[in-house]
Amino acid sequence: MREVTKTFVLTRFDPDQDEAPRTQEYKVPVREDWKVLDAINFIKDEIDPSVSHRWSCRMAVCGSCGMMVNGEPKLTCKTALSDYGDRVEIEPLANFPIVRDLVVELEGFMDKFKSVKPWIVRAKQKAAEEGTYRQSTEELSAFKQFSMCINCMLCYSACPVVANEPEFIGPAAIALGHRYNMDSRDEGASERNQRFREEGTVFSCSYANECSEVCPKDVDPAAAVNQAKFNAVIDWAKGLVMPKGGS
Amino acid sequence: MSRPAHPHAMAPKTPGKTRTAPPQIPASWWSTSRMRAYLAFDATGFVYLLVGFLAIRLVWALGSGQGAYDSALGALENPIYIVWNVFALLCVIGVGVRFFRLFPKAQPARLGPAKPPPGPVIHAGLYLAWIGITVLLSAILAGGLFA
Amino acid sequence: MKTFLLKVEPVIWLLFGQGILIGTILLTAWLLVIGILIPLGVVPSDALAYERALRLATANLLFLPIGKLLLLAIMALPLWKGAHHIRSLLVDFGGGERDPAVASLLYLIATAGSVAAVMAVIRL
Repeated sequence: MREVTKTFVLTRFDPDQDEAPRTQEYKVPVREDWKVLDAINFIKDEIDPSVSHRWSCRMAVCGSCGMMVNGEPKLTCKTALSDYGDRVEIEPLANFPIVRDLVVELEGFMDKFKSVKPWIVRAKQKAAEEGTYRQSTEELSAFKQFSMCINCMLCYSACPVVANEPEFIGPAAIALGHRYNMDSRDEGASERNQRFREEGTVFSCSYANECSEVCPKDVDPAAAVNQAKFNAVIDWAKGLVMPKGGS
Repeated sequence: MSRPAHPHAMAPKTPGKTRTAPPQIPASWWSTSRMRAYLAFDATGFVYLLVGFLAIRLVWALGSGQGAYDSALGALENPIYIVWNVFALLCVIGVGVRFFRLFPKAQPARLGPAKPPPGPVIHAGLYLAWIGITVLLSAILAGGLFA
Repeated sequence: MKTFLLKVEPVIWLLFGQGILIGTILLTAWLLVIGILIPLGVVPSDALAYERALRLATANLLFLPIGKLLLLAIMALPLWKGAHHIRSLLVDFGGGERDPAVASLLYLIATAGSVAAVMAVIRL
C-alpha cells in the first residue's frame, strides 16, 4: 500500500513542567487507508511514548478519541487522513481544560450531564413480576435518534455558547434530558423541565447548529435543544394557566 | 493556533488533583463558512432593529398628518435609503432561508396528542406562506388590491 | 437581574421567534414596495398616498383591526429579533460575563420601541 509522509503538529502540555501548552511536530509515514487516530498511535508507539491521548474502540462507539483536527472537533478514529494535506494540526478538544497533551478534563461535563437526570425517572418502580415497560415503535421513534449519543463531547467543542458561558450545560446534556422527556416510560419530565428553565440551559442556546454539524452519530443535538426550548415554553405557559400544574 | 475560551468553560465543580491548562478555542472559530453564515444570521439583528425603528418612524408620521407623512415617505427616495432598503431586503431573505431550514427540526415530535407534520412539509409550508403573503401584501401596498 | 431575565426568557424567546417568523414574512413585501419600488418610481407613489395609507392602516377585517395589527407586527416584532440576535452575537465574541447587563439594555430598547409602536397605531 502506498505511503506518504505527513507532518503532525501536536499540542503538548505537561502540567509538571510546562507553563502553557506548546506544540511539537512529528513526521509520520502515513498509509493511505489510515485514520487520524492511526497516526497518533504511530507517534505514541514508534516515535514519542510520552504523548498522551485517549482512545479505545477504534469504531466510533466509545466516544473517547475526540480531538481538534485542523481546528475542527473530530472523532479521530472516524476521520480519514486522506481528507487532509501534508500538515495536520491535532489539538485537545476546544472549550475544555487541558489535563495533559491531547487529554481534556471530563469532570465538568459529567457535572452538567448528571444535572439533567439522564435516566428513566419513575414515581414508583414496577415490581419484577408486573412485567416490563412496553413501548411501541412510534413511541421509540420519538427519542431514538437522541439516544445514539456516545458522549464524545465534540458538540461542546463546537458550541460558541459553551466557549463563553461556563454555566451552560451544553448540547449533549440537554439532548439527553430531552431524550428521556420524550420517552413514554419516563415520568421525570417536570423535574427536567424545571432544570431546563434554570440558568445556563435551553435559553442560552443561540441555535448556531454547530453541535449538529460536528456530531459523528447524527444525533442532531441542536434539534433536541430547540425542541426542549419549545417544550420549556409550553411548560411555562401551562404553569401560568395552572400554577401547580404542567408536566 | 488557539486563543483562550472563557477561563471556566467546562470546569468541574470541584477542581481535579492535577493542574490543568485553561480551555482554548481555535483561532479560526469565526472564519469557517458555517460559522460565518451563523454569525451573519445573528448580525442581521442590527438590521432588524433599525428596520423596526424606521417602520415606527413612518407609521408615527402617518398618525401626525399629511405633511409629516409625505415628507417621511419622500425621504425614502434618498439613494442612501434605497441602498439601505435593498441591503435590508437581502438580509431578510437570507434570514428566511436559514431560519426556515432550521425551523422544522425544532418542532417536538409530539405535543400532547398532536403530531406536527414531517419536516419537509413544514419547510414547504413556510415557503408557501412566505411567498403567498409577500405577493398578497405587495399587491395591497402597491395599489393592485383594495385600491 | 439574572433571575429576572430567567423569568422573562420564555416571553422574550416567543417574541424573538415571532420576530423571525412573522417579521421576515411581512418585512419582505414591506421593504420591497415601500423601501425600493415606490422610491424608485416602479410603483407610482400615489399607491401609498396619505389618504390610502391611512385607509389601509385603519382597515378592519370583521371586528379585527387588521391594518393596525399588521403594522404593529411589522414595527415591534423585528425589534425583538434584533435585540435577541445582537445579544447572542455579543456572547459569541466573549461576552458571557457581561451578558446580563447587555441583554437588559437590548431588551429595554426593544421594549421602548414596542411601546412606541403601540402608541403609533393608537394615534392613527
